[in-house]
Amino acid sequence: MSNIIEIKNITKEFKVLNRREGLKGSLKDLFSRDYKIVRAVDNISMNIEQGEIVGYLGPNGAGKSTTIKMMTGILEPTSGEILVNDYVPYKNRTRNAQNIGVVFGQRTQLWWALPLVESFKILKDIYGVSDKDYNDMIELYQSLVDIEPLLHKPVRQMSLGQRTLSDILAAFLHNPKIVFLDEPTIGLDVSMKSKIRTLIHALNKEKNTTVILTTHDMGDVDALCRRIVIIDKGKMLYDNDIEHLKGFFGYYRTLKIRVGGDLKQTAEKIRAQLPEFSVSADDEWISILVDEAKSKVMDVLSQLQKSYKIRDMQLEEISTEEVIKKIYEEGVK
Amino acid sequence: MKRKSLGFYFRIYRKILAQDLKSKMSYRADFIISTIGMIFTNIAGFVSFWILFQNFPSINGWGYYEMLFLYGFSLVSLTPVQCFFDNNWALRNQVYSGDFIKYCFRPINMFFYFQSEVFDIKGLGQFAFGLGTLIYSWNKLGLEFSPLMLLKMIVFLITASLIMIALQNAAAATCFWIQNSFFVLDLVTKFKDYARYPITIFSPVFRFIFTFVIPIAFIAYYPSLVVLRPDEVPILSWISPIVALVFFFLSYKLWMRGAMKYNGTGA
Repeated sequence: MSNIIEIKNITKEFKVLNRREGLKGSLKDLFSRDYKIVRAVDNISMNIEQGEIVGYLGPNGAGKSTTIKMMTGILEPTSGEILVNDYVPYKNRTRNAQNIGVVFGQRTQLWWALPLVESFKILKDIYGVSDKDYNDMIELYQSLVDIEPLLHKPVRQMSLGQRTLSDILAAFLHNPKIVFLDEPTIGLDVSMKSKIRTLIHALNKEKNTTVILTTHDMGDVDALCRRIVIIDKGKMLYDNDIEHLKGFFGYYRTLKIRVGGDLKQTAEKIRAQLPEFSVSADDEWISILVDEAKSKVMDVLSQLQKSYKIRDMQLEEISTEEVIKKIYEEGVK
Repeated sequence: MKRKSLGFYFRIYRKILAQDLKSKMSYRADFIISTIGMIFTNIAGFVSFWILFQNFPSINGWGYYEMLFLYGFSLVSLTPVQCFFDNNWALRNQVYSGDFIKYCFRPINMFFYFQSEVFDIKGLGQFAFGLGTLIYSWNKLGLEFSPLMLLKMIVFLITASLIMIALQNAAAATCFWIQNSFFVLDLVTKFKDYARYPITIFSPVFRFIFTFVIPIAFIAYYPSLVVLRPDEVPILSWISPIVALVFFFLSYKLWMRGAMKYNGTGA
């Protein structure tokens, strides 16, 4: 498969005015301006293939939007190379725009006063979509979501969920090669979130559209992305499959058991027995954080079964959310 | 991909306009109230003009009907800016909130896309009122009417419109660089009220400013001289169509340059 996006060592720097404090400082700023260079994106490289769904993650202010703006051709990188669909996006902004779709979670790009179907028709003209392609797309939409009630409703009367849904449909309408979704599920209720995830997934499958998704909702990531890229402070921290992510800090699983008698005392004993793992107890459960690189959970369980009468047990996987949190907080070692 | 043709933009604009009008009509109360408001605005403007002339029979050699002609001319020539470029007033807010970024993602001209979003129907009433005034004063002045005259009228009305559009574009585009651009836009809009007076009434300093710095004298005065006083048309009147085109082009370039410089405010 071919790469639809190729990014090689891109860096983006902004010149920011160093503001001095207080009134006196502001007066000084008027006369002598002291700029500092802020590196929003720092030497990032990645290749994205046609048809991938990539979760682009990072804490607020990590440089996600800046990267996306460079991919959409709004910003010119300070250095490095970027190719989207074989073109340099900032040199060919309109040509690039023909092949991409963009959705910003809370900002609609539809015509505020117009019913959705009229917005679609205008977009059809703008992108030069043929009647047949347009009708096929609408048919596909109808098979995926219930759009009938939306089609004749002015955008301004829509709920946030309906609007986001409409924006996503509008972004896919001209069958772009790449769709950028910036926090598409922000502020939505659970059922709408799942509806939107299903829709994105289906459109990706059906049209082989590349999707670049930025989000803070790990539900989105788990439901949609096979590959994730994490950046922070402009630097790339992680770029790999989501399965590898879970093993990033070792394959940890939490084994929880319930036994008779005093839990605290039992926990003490287990701690002595299994010095390599951390053991804790609350009112109901004894939790043992097992590093699977050292021994398998099942072995630990059978070992414990010999000494204690286990009434109940639970096995908890470490969640994507926890791993990401750990990466944001600790970085990569 | 080849450049989109003028016909393409015209088609798109027509579609957006038709839909926009349809949706505006469906908000009936809103439509009626703004129509009434517009009628009153025009009447009030006219009344103040009329009171002025009850007290001064002429201003610097300009009689009542000549002044009325100038007044009508400025109303008509200010219509396009009101109807088609009203979104310029919203530019500032969109730039600060970051909503402006959406205009960067479509494969069409950004300036067109932005301006096409709003059609202000209020301008139409102004147009009707201005046209009525113009025809009325034309009759009263006993000006000749010939196809050539009509052609001149149309050319110079377009000239005047372009100047005002250019002024507004340039004023609105300042928001890409400065924080309080509202005052610039407001100032330019206030100045346009002076457009309906003959420039000869101002002191030489202001005459210079209104001709070369903020060229509002081109909105009504210089162009209407061609029709009103064909014997004393200054050279500035004849070159005003070219001035208008150049000025419009420059304002468009300034606007686009600002838009290109713009890169959203964070996420």
